[in-house]
Amino acid sequence: MTPVLVGAVAYTANVVPIWEGIRDYFRGSAVEMDFVLFSNYERQVESLLAGTVDIAWNTNLAYVRTVRRTAGQCRALAMRDTDLTFRTVFVGRAGSGLSGLESIRGRRVALGSRDSGQARILPSKFLADAGISAPETTFLHFDSDVGKHGDTGRSELDALAAVLDDEADVAALGITTWESLLKGGDTGFEEIWTSAPYCHCNFTAMPRLEADRAAAWVAHLLAMDWENPDHRRILELEGLRAWVEPQLDGYRSLFDAVDEQGISSTW
Amino acid sequence: MVTATAGRQPGHAVLRAMSAVGTAAAGSVVMVDVANAGEVVAVDSWARGSGLSVLAVHNDAMEIFLGRLDDVSSIPSDRMPGTRVWFYTNFHCNLACDYCCAMSSPRSDPLMLPAPLVARLVDEAMSLGAREFFLTGGEPFLHPELDRIVESCAAAAPTLLLTNGMLLRGSRLQLLLRLPRENLILQVSLDSPTAQRHDRHRGEGSWAKAVAGIKTARDAGFAVRLAATLGSEASGDDVALAEMCADLGLDPQDTVVRRVAQQGAATDGIVLSRATLVPEICVSGRGVHWHPVAPLDEAMLVTTDISSLAPAVDAVRQEYLGYRRRGDVLAATFPCA
Repeated sequence: MTPVLVGAVAYTANVVPIWEGIRDYFRGSAVEMDFVLFSNYERQVESLLAGTVDIAWNTNLAYVRTVRRTAGQCRALAMRDTDLTFRTVFVGRAGSGLSGLESIRGRRVALGSRDSGQARILPSKFLADAGISAPETTFLHFDSDVGKHGDTGRSELDALAAVLDDEADVAALGITTWESLLKGGDTGFEEIWTSAPYCHCNFTAMPRLEADRAAAWVAHLLAMDWENPDHRRILELEGLRAWVEPQLDGYRSLFDAVDEQGISSTW
Repeated sequence: MVTATAGRQPGHAVLRAMSAVGTAAAGSVVMVDVANAGEVVAVDSWARGSGLSVLAVHNDAMEIFLGRLDDVSSIPSDRMPGTRVWFYTNFHCNLACDYCCAMSSPRSDPLMLPAPLVARLVDEAMSLGAREFFLTGGEPFLHPELDRIVESCAAAAPTLLLTNGMLLRGSRLQLLLRLPRENLILQVSLDSPTAQRHDRHRGEGSWAKAVAGIKTARDAGFAVRLAATLGSEASGDDVALAEMCADLGLDPQDTVVRRVAQQGAATDGIVLSRATLVPEICVSGRGVHWHPVAPLDEAMLVTTDISSLAPAVDAVRQEYLGYRRRGDVLAATFPCA
């Protein structure tokens, strides 16, 4: 039987061992898989729409755009447990005295890449919902690694550097970058406000992928076991403990943000 | 190697490290530029907290390994030392093959492993993650307690018993018949599809006796497979060996072809060292060895203490991890079974 072809974006050297490991894990299962790496999410989503790949490992923005481009016909198949509880964090210099969303009003806010859900699109929405906007508040934009939807974290690190350099008072980060920074102990930063959880990546499939093939593929994916050392190596690299069924409610805030900010469904 | 350039204050160094690490492959090394002691402390703290290892601090840069130096879980399970455990039941043999890695012969010091010791080590090996046991020698059928040894192993995990198959008569046939059929495969050495080359290395008449032994074991209900040790003169024999397997009623796919290693009695063959050989824990009357192919090689001896496996397994795992970090491509498996 022809293997299911999964697309993923190569944002780090680790994607090769990750996807080779996942491909090997599927060898001998009811539905085997192979993968194709793309340089950016635009190429990946266009290839999914064109039928070059059966499934795309999409960011939340890539998923939202795919939904819009297919009039809701695409399906989210599965996601990481960590995708269910993604959050955005606003941080400032330690000792800045800033606390809570309202304290950001009138400050200089460093935001990440324009295609980063966690560092630009959603933080802009959270601030706008609180009535915090220009010109009262100043926004600095760091469009680093555009096309990778914030996966590299590069624009978030640029925003943090701006705070260190006193070019900004506040930086918007995804929770993974903040948690990574906290591993150093005294970071020189402190948390100002953290958003409610929202969903991040998922495996997105087009309707042409037969339901029974999709179901068999998902069932085998969900059977990856943290207690199995071979599986754990892949799970650790990809940043999860377990694959889970998708929870689409977690994308509501991003759908709203894309509409409110007039972000195109194309590129 | 990735390099990140020095910035203006300690926090910048951590951001540079995060940036360099974020796009680099696990198991690689990145260089992060540091301008002062404060940056070194900040990067060191972040790296350790992130499960990374600082390899070196130079005047203006830090070398960071993307992984933990002591994390044996990074070793793939099929190469994890301790999953395949070998026992040299004894060293003496009815043959004196000219390429034997153990230099076994009828005159060898038997150095037999007592059955109760093997039983205890099997239990310990299982607690350390053993998945398969292998029994070799010398000729294991010269060990009077072989049935008890096999029983201990096969009750715990799939077990392979290596034999020349020549002694399966009289009391040793009775010994064979007492062995469990479940979880046990007999691997019989047969180097060539005809007697000539096998007998040249192993002794006149040995081929015919080995073939008879294979038939005896099969008729007694044992799973049997062939192992051929091939020197440089043996190219082209693989097909003929497969045909002979079929003639003997064995699965032609289930044949192990081994090259001669420059160990023991062999004066030529593949040169092996700890750094270039994926370890397979091996216990003999001499000690615990890096691999069963080298039971006489002092450089491959891990310890002479065979009272417990855990310290040797741990030492081999750590040493192998070090070789893997320096270049996994150098390490190769050497299949004895």
